[in-house]
This record gives sequence, C-alpha cells and structure tokens, in this order.
Amino acid sequence: MQESWSVRSPRLVVVCMRVMIQLRPEPDVVAAVADPGVPTPVSDVADGLPGVVLDESFPPIAVPRPVPPAGGDPLSLHRVAFSMAPQDATVLVRGEIGDDEVTTRTALLPVAHRQVAGVFADPVISPGLVCGQDPPVGDWRRVAELLGTAGLLAEGCDGSGVPVAILDTGVNVDHLRRVLGREVRLDAERSLVPEGVDERPGEAAVDHGTMCAFDALIAAPNATLLDLPVLLSRRPGGSAIDGLLSDAVAAFAHLRAVLEAMPEESRALVVSNSWGSFSPRWDFPVGHPGNYSDNPAHPFNIIVGSLEQAGADVLFAAGNCGRECPDGRCAFPERPIAGANSHGQVISVGGVDVDGKRVGYSSQGPGRLSDRKPDLCAYTHFAGSQAYGEQSPDFGTSAACPVAAGVVAAIRTRWPPSRLSPAELRTLLQRTADDRSDVGFDYEYGYGIINPPAVLDALRRLETRRA
Amino acid sequence: MTVRLARGATLAAAARKLGLSEDDVDVGYGLVPLDPANGLYGLRIRDEAARRVRPEALTEEGEGVHADPRIEPFGPPRPGA
Repeated sequence: MQESWSVRSPRLVVVCMRVMIQLRPEPDVVAAVADPGVPTPVSDVADGLPGVVLDESFPPIAVPRPVPPAGGDPLSLHRVAFSMAPQDATVLVRGEIGDDEVTTRTALLPVAHRQVAGVFADPVISPGLVCGQDPPVGDWRRVAELLGTAGLLAEGCDGSGVPVAILDTGVNVDHLRRVLGREVRLDAERSLVPEGVDERPGEAAVDHGTMCAFDALIAAPNATLLDLPVLLSRRPGGSAIDGLLSDAVAAFAHLRAVLEAMPEESRALVVSNSWGSFSPRWDFPVGHPGNYSDNPAHPFNIIVGSLEQAGADVLFAAGNCGRECPDGRCAFPERPIAGANSHGQVISVGGVDVDGKRVGYSSQGPGRLSDRKPDLCAYTHFAGSQAYGEQSPDFGTSAACPVAAGVVAAIRTRWPPSRLSPAELRTLLQRTADDRSDVGFDYEYGYGIINPPAVLDALRRLETRRA
Repeated sequence: MTVRLARGATLAAAARKLGLSEDDVDVGYGLVPLDPANGLYGLRIRDEAARRVRPEALTEEGEGVHADPRIEPFGPPRPGA
C-alpha cells in the first residue's frame, strides 16, 4: 500500500508519496556522511533529483553493504558481512514524489542520475494497535470527558426516563451501585426473564452484561436499565455464556410490546447488543433461504427492522474479528460483520481506545447485509466496570456498543423519536462523527468516532431552523 | 421457523398448519409475534421435525425454516471456547 499524504489548498489537492532514495556518491562523500563528526547537508549528497522534493531536515545516513565473507559465495544471502568502507557503503536520503509521477520517476531516476541505486517506500510506522491481552488504556472518566458528558448534562441530556435494554448475560445492579457509588435505575417489570433462567432482573452474576450496563451509564447516568439475559444458555452442551438467536427473537418481540405500550409522543427505547454469531458453522450456507448471516429475510433481521421502524434505536457491536488481532473464535473467512450486526437499520459500533486509535480486534467492514459498516466507533478497552477485576479493561466492541448506546439514550432525553426518528438520528451521528480519515467513510472507523458535542450543536441548529 | 397465521393464533394452530405435533415444537418458547399486523409468527422446532414439515404448508411469503445459530458475547474469550 502506498503511504500518501495530501496537501490541501483552496483549489488543489496534491497527493505525494514518501520515499527513501539510496545513492552511491563518491567515496569521499560516503566517508563524510559516515563520520559522525562531519555534518553533511543533503545538498552535498544529492544535488537536485528531478521530480523529488528532498527533506532537507533529514540528515543523510550511511548504510553498510552486505558482502560475502572472504572466500565465501558472492551470491549467498546467508552469513554475510557488512562493510562500511566508503567504496562499499551507500547513502540514504528521503523526500516525496507526486503520486501521479511515482511509477515514472522510480523507473527513470536510476537511469537519469547515475548515483541513484534505488528508490524505496518510506511507510508510516506507528505503535501496534491495542489487542485483547493489553492492559486498559485510560479509564471511564476519561471516556466521559471525551464524550463531553458535562455538556450533555448541561443540556439536560442524562438519560432520564429513557429505557436502555441490555440484551446480554444479565445485569448485577448491586455491583454497579458499588463501583459507581450511586443509585442505578433498573425496571424489573419491563425486563425479561427467559425460560429456565433463575435470577431475577438485576441479580445476575457479575459478568459481560454488567460491564455493558456500566458502559451505557457513562453518558446516560440516569437512564433506566432493562435486563434481558438472552445469552444465558439452557442448552445441554452449550457454554455457560451463549444463547440461540431465537432467544434474541423472543427478546425483541418483548421489547416491541414494551415500546408500543408507551405513549406515542414520548416513547423511546435504546437496545444495546454486544453479541453476535462468530461462525458460519451454525448457519445455513449463504444463498440458502434459511441463512442468517447474509439474509435480510431471516426472521431475526426482520424483527430488528420492525423494532427500529416502531421507534427504537438499535445498536450492535461490530464484533472482535479485526484482522490485526481477532478473537480466536472468529471463523468467517472475510466480512465478519454479519447478520443483524450489519443491518441497515442499526448502528453498528466499532472500537477505538481513548487515544482515538482503532483497537486491533475491532471488526472491519464491509458488512454482509449492509455494505457501509461499521457505522461509527466508540471507546473501549478502558478501566471501568471492574466486571472482570480491577485491573482488567472493559473490553471489545462489546464495551464500545453500550458506550454509544448511552450517548443515544442521553440525546433521547430531550429528542425522542417523535421529534427525531431513529433513521434521522443515525444519519446525524454519522455526519457529526469525528472522521479519522481523509475520505469520509472507511471500513475501519466507519464515519468516525462518535462526537456528542457535535451532535448537540447540530440539534440546536435544527431546532432553530424548525422554530 | 416462521409461519403466517391469523391474528391471535396459538402455538397449537401453528403446529397443526405445519403437520406437527406439540411434541415437535418448543412449548416453553411459544409462538412469538414477528410481524403480528401481517400475521407472521416464529416458533422453535427440532431439526428432525423441520425435515417433516410439508413443503405445501409453507407457501406464503416469509414462511420457512431458518437457521437458529449460536450467539455469544463479544467479550473476553472463555478458556476452552
């Protein structure tokens, strides 16, 4: 991949490629470059290379030449020695070539300039992306700062009166109260107790679901949690923490009834889903009418769409199958954002750390049901809920999804779906996201990192226009 | 699987339409309204029972047998998972 950057002027965008140029100047010049006591400007080494803008601030570097040891095979790449002798070593300078001239210049430079031995890419390097075993990066208070929760609270956007449904492994309210040091609202009546689950709403073992609930409360501290522990399996041979998609179908049907029971003017419901199907093994093949991953007609994909159309904001985690460090369970050969996680009527959420960098396990698009996924990114891998211990991070796109759900719930405090439909809010979140690329949407960050202050600005302007 | 029924239909009615007995369907799961205004419902049946459903019972749009894949949280992998 070319490493290019752009220079923007009012009318012209010039994209250049960074290169390193290897030169074989006269031995006395090489000797000077190799001598740390002799400052050697770029102009002494490379006096005008056509089509190359040299970086004058980068001092030339002497590079040794691999040579066969005495009596050795001159063509062998093994057991070489390295010679810094002036007649052997070369010199490296760096610069830029216009993207539209790269092919021509790299071919012609060694021909036109006899001292040019080679032209090489000079790619950007950066620290590795955060992966699963890495310690937390920042904490939930930093996340709150980045989300601008003070600004949300100043606008009265704290999630009051907004139900946030956590479809997961169950929520433990006592744990949340302890960690947050304050009261937490949970509506047991509108929660769901799946068949075979013994725990009452809010009394589940501290685990993934409790983490998700904590993270939703960062931006919406006064939201009302609904506990839907669909991931508590009752199947023989299943693990303790998984479920069947049909359990999620039943949960969504329950949530539609909850939504339709609310007064139409003020109804709002945010549904956070930090789960998915890791493997095509449990699915019909793509193209089969019963397939789930790629089939908008699958009953779960239908009910997701119907709940959104009824006025719910539905969010799904993009998944932890990022190319750099995927979860070991990831089994889709490509396009891991599948099924409802890629639904056109949901907000599909990827993960970034508090430095704004995509975490290495956050799944890249395109999505299977809808191409432009993930929609956006939110924060993850921070010290927060302590659901996995004090030193362990709130992890995965699992944490990013409820962080975004909390932002949605905060906005819904003042702008219910009767004033701003789920589709309109999705568009607004996409348009105001902090774009991490030069090209708008991309398959790593989506439209960018969720940006609540920008959303509030846009809503204020909208209100002014509507008044 | 999904089936189209009259509004207010029961699980027993769904089983009859599919030519199945109540032993073949997950009674605990029940009949779930997917799109009740248009009469679309979901129910859970055994794999073996799905193979016995008569094709002529599933002629309306949206009816059919669908995958019920395992779903898992996107959290830290479990040991042995």
